[in-house]
Amino acid sequence: MSFFSSLREKTKILDRITESFTPSLTRDEKFKLQYKLPSEEAILDDANADISFISANNAVYDESKKQNGLKGEPVAYIFSGKLYLTSHYLVFKDAFDESSCVLILNISTIKRVERSPSASYSFALMVTLYSSSQLLIQFIGLRYKSEQFCELLKQKLRENIPNAKKLDKFLATCYSEFLISKNVLRRKDILAPRAGLGQHYKYPAHPEMAKEKAKLRLWFEYFKENGENLAIMKNPKFTKLVRIGVPSRMRGEIWELCSGALYLRYAFQGEYERILEENKGKTSQAIDEIEKDLKRSLPEYSAYQTEEGIQRLRNVLTAYSWKNPDVGYCQAMNIVCAALLIYMTEEQAFWCLSNLCDVYVPGYYSKTMYGTLLDQKVFEAFVEEKLPVLNDYIVKHDIQLSVVSLPWFLSLFYTSMPLEYAVRIMDIFFMNGAKTLFQVALAVLKLNADDILQADDDGMFIAIIKNYFRTLGESAHPDSPDIRYRQITKFQELLVTAFKEFSVITDSMIAQGRHRYQKGILENIETFVKKTQVRHMPKTFYLSTDDLSNLYDIYYDSIETHKISMGTGSSNMTFEVFVQFLGKFCDWCKPCQMDKDPAFKKQKEDFLRKIFNNWDSSSLGELTINDVVLGLEKLLTTDLLESMNYFFTLYDSDSDGELQREEVLEMSEGLILLTEPWRSGRLVDFLTKKSIEDDIAEKIVKENGDVIQSMEEIELPTGVVIEEEKYKSEQSERYLKAASSFLQRSFEYAKSLDLSEEVNLIDLSDNEDDSEAKESKRKKFQSLKHNAALDPTHSKVIDLATFRMIILADETYELFFAQTLRLSIHLNEGFATSSTNKVLKSMLDGIIADGKRVAEQVRRRVDSVATRGSVNSLDSGPQTLGGSITRSEDIDDFTSEHLEEHADLLQDSLLDIYDTSDHEGGQTSQQRKLETLKPRPVSEGNKKEDLIEFEA
Amino acid sequence: MSNPITSIKLVLLGEAAVGKSSIVLRFVSNDFSENKEPTIGAAFLTQRVNINNNTIKFEIWDTAGQERFASLAPMYYRNAQAALVVYDITKPQSFIKARHWVKELHEQASKDIIIALVGNKVDIIENDESERKVAREEGERLAEEEGLIFFETSAKTAENVNDVFLNIGEKIPLKNDNSSPNDTTITEDQRINLAASANATSEASSCSC
Ligand SMILES: Nc1nc2c(ncn2[C@@H]2O[C@H](COP(=O)(O)OP(=O)(O)O)[C@@H](O)[C@H]2O)c(=O)[nH]1
Ligand SMILES: [Mg+2]
Repeated sequence: MSFFSSLREKTKILDRITESFTPSLTRDEKFKLQYKLPSEEAILDDANADISFISANNAVYDESKKQNGLKGEPVAYIFSGKLYLTSHYLVFKDAFDESSCVLILNISTIKRVERSPSASYSFALMVTLYSSSQLLIQFIGLRYKSEQFCELLKQKLRENIPNAKKLDKFLATCYSEFLISKNVLRRKDILAPRAGLGQHYKYPAHPEMAKEKAKLRLWFEYFKENGENLAIMKNPKFTKLVRIGVPSRMRGEIWELCSGALYLRYAFQGEYERILEENKGKTSQAIDEIEKDLKRSLPEYSAYQTEEGIQRLRNVLTAYSWKNPDVGYCQAMNIVCAALLIYMTEEQAFWCLSNLCDVYVPGYYSKTMYGTLLDQKVFEAFVEEKLPVLNDYIVKHDIQLSVVSLPWFLSLFYTSMPLEYAVRIMDIFFMNGAKTLFQVALAVLKLNADDILQADDDGMFIAIIKNYFRTLGESAHPDSPDIRYRQITKFQELLVTAFKEFSVITDSMIAQGRHRYQKGILENIETFVKKTQVRHMPKTFYLSTDDLSNLYDIYYDSIETHKISMGTGSSNMTFEVFVQFLGKFCDWCKPCQMDKDPAFKKQKEDFLRKIFNNWDSSSLGELTINDVVLGLEKLLTTDLLESMNYFFTLYDSDSDGELQREEVLEMSEGLILLTEPWRSGRLVDFLTKKSIEDDIAEKIVKENGDVIQSMEEIELPTGVVIEEEKYKSEQSERYLKAASSFLQRSFEYAKSLDLSEEVNLIDLSDNEDDSEAKESKRKKFQSLKHNAALDPTHSKVIDLATFRMIILADETYELFFAQTLRLSIHLNEGFATSSTNKVLKSMLDGIIADGKRVAEQVRRRVDSVATRGSVNSLDSGPQTLGGSITRSEDIDDFTSEHLEEHADLLQDSLLDIYDTSDHEGGQTSQQRKLETLKPRPVSEGNKKEDLIEFEA
Repeated sequence: MSNPITSIKLVLLGEAAVGKSSIVLRFVSNDFSENKEPTIGAAFLTQRVNINNNTIKFEIWDTAGQERFASLAPMYYRNAQAALVVYDITKPQSFIKARHWVKELHEQASKDIIIALVGNKVDIIENDESERKVAREEGERLAEEEGLIFFETSAKTAENVNDVFLNIGEKIPLKNDNSSPNDTTITEDQRINLAASANATSEASSCSC
């Protein structure tokens, strides 16, 4: 699929999106994704090591020593595993069971590193942290490798010194630090750091103080033992504490920590404020959309009935829309963000939202929502696999699962469950990732399966689920005789089902599913988007539906950075892209030899710029697809007057209906540029075509005489040698003349502009044959322009009526506006295949292959001859046929006697086709078969004298 | 007297914040609230009404209005017998969107779908006519061209809201019997009855799960 093949490195975000959709990630990518580290944190080195974390607030003491009356030596567990170094982090994971110990430590939290004597290890380091806790690293393996690791670590430590200065300020924003200071250092005077709206407006369904306090204590104990925020060791207890529900005050930081938003916030301090400041007062579509939803985001929560709450929400959503314009704003983000802001400050919520959108649920909120659609598909596949009975039922009753499940995923259950339960799901979601959504969703279906199997339409299905969510706080087993059973709520039951039974749903299964369905989903979206856009294009008269569809393809093919299915990148067209775009299907914009001439190139650019600006309806310096449609519609008009009028308006920059002298000169240059393909003979216009056809027809009639009775009988020579150069130079001559006359007439007819002297100095009508004369003519022409341009006396030159008169005075230019221009725009052909050097060839092919027209010409001639025959007596002299050829032969020249003779002659010519190798100078390409007509059998040995030939 | 219940699947389409959900809330619960959560994906609600002794059950799909949700819309209008295409008479852009929706429905939805074009928020122009940005005639013309039912409504004041649904309801059984729409004049009594008829309160279920 072209989409995939053309995926190039674009933005980090896009990369991450595709990465997380493709099972084959690099080691670095997996590493960053797993530990939620910022994208800069590539692995610099790794080492095998045993580590132990020795807390400064030692929670664990050796009990045996205590009994001896000593304070007791601190004991610490030793973990064996792998240590990684990145530019800003030390990461350790247990080699046997990753869940048993993971350490993530920001290097700027390190105060001191010393070599440590070690009996059993050759090499050990004692790392002391800002908190005075210590980390003992005992390296295993080759000494030089360990030394190397240390060396790198030392280097990074040095580089991190400036960051260390930001540490204190940052730690002051962490609730964990506050908990420790207050309880370990017994500081009563310090205030809790600024937090989310809940701090003042109360947390939703706040548990009794006792429970909150107990949970906070558990976290406090945990931090004492294992460190906190930027230097923390995560072990199974951490997971357990998250699962039982994070206390409201701690929630913001735990979400930040689990999602990696904490690391982003630390790395990019001040970035949030800067984005807001830089974009202050700016407007965008996203901002309009955000504004519409601000009062509709968790409106039942009291803070969102106040300006303070609304303003915070506005700030964060707006900042994100500037940070990631590809996503901008998507409904549902407002609700998710509103939930974050209850527990987090604006800056915290901003980074959390960023990570959520970019890493956790990639593509969910994109302009096409492809991630959402994809995950629905993946979810359906899980349902089919894990809940087959339910799935069969749903399919049989034509119930669409996504109508129910899509909002669960998109708003992370916030619009489905009461807030206090949704935030519990969120605790686990940030810790375990997107699989949480799948697990919970499957559990919801499973727990309601009995009821759903009674539903017979979408409506009942929805009612069942809605009722379930509303009663989550109620007992799951109200009728059980066992009180302990009665006490289990539906929510608890949901969690158990989701995280026990459906723990089989793993990240890699989701990644595989996404990979499997991605192609289909993206193709569907592309088709849908195209259908919609083509449908919504402006009404056109000259562009057919097929044209529009082709135009759409060429348009988006040109804007390579725009991914239709992902909805990323701008879908508007800049001038540079516009030039390439037109070049794909407009003969006069195709790249050509002349482009090498800087003067020509400049003129071309000027002319295209005029069109571009004329089409740019919003004057933003970019075109939309609708601009292009409307613009082409004007160029493609079949109405001669309209076509001329449009060209006039292109140059009438102040639209006063009159062209200034400068504008006329510009216009004449524009015309010269626009007609370049015909002037240079790359293309053939209708006049030339007609004259070629006439010449062929003339020859044929000459050969076949009046023997031809019906079209079927016409025998055309199969070999036609066309003397390209002759027609080319004739046509070129004609266009040059048209250009000269245009300018001449412009100044002749111009009101009160006295240029007659100059004009008369130059004879524009001579018939030069040699190139030297042509060259001098060109020079004269240049000087004419020059003089006219220099004349300062008059400003107004021509109005629209005069312009039209001037054009109509010249057959070539008249034809140009009536037809040539329009026919040089090829929306109905495969645009990719045409290359410049093939144009004339295919043009001639066209003329010859379209034998019908030639045959038509022949017939007209024959008919006319026949007519003459029947009115023999009236005939008295030469007659004009086909407009340009005068025949003087008498009817008697076409008697039956000549029949054989003509037939023979034709055979001669046929021979010639098979004889092309004998011709000099590779004329092969100039020979054309008249395919619509039967060739006669070849007879050997004839000469080529009667070949239909077009030579100078 | 007790005719079988006819179900009508009806879908609401239109730009974000034109008042789709509010119209539904007004019709289903005769209520209005300034601050409602935006619809994520779609919301499903039902309402029963009596028209000419026929009970009609509206199964209403209220969709999200943001542009990017458009690719989800076919999921909701598939098999729909009726559609409300809503715009905000103070927002010209929303009228352009309405045109698009009408076009899409004609191309993509069931062939004989009944479409009502609804210009909402007329209450806003009651005091200040200058707030109006889409002329009534424009709406009428589009309706005329495309063969649509046309109403200007206010979910806030309830103006014309029920009438839109009743008009659609009348159009559906008309396919079977030959009674002209004029036979079913809706009295104020009936209108009040609508919400209560056929245990509407228990039947009306709204969902944003
Ligand atoms: N003045 C006025 N406001 C309305 C009316 N209908 C809806 N609104 C308001 O417009 C906003 C969007 O309404 P909503 O029903 O959520 O629009 P939806 O996005 O189309 O579903 C809300 O703030 C409503 O209070 C109306 O008839 N008059
Ligand atoms: Mg809505």
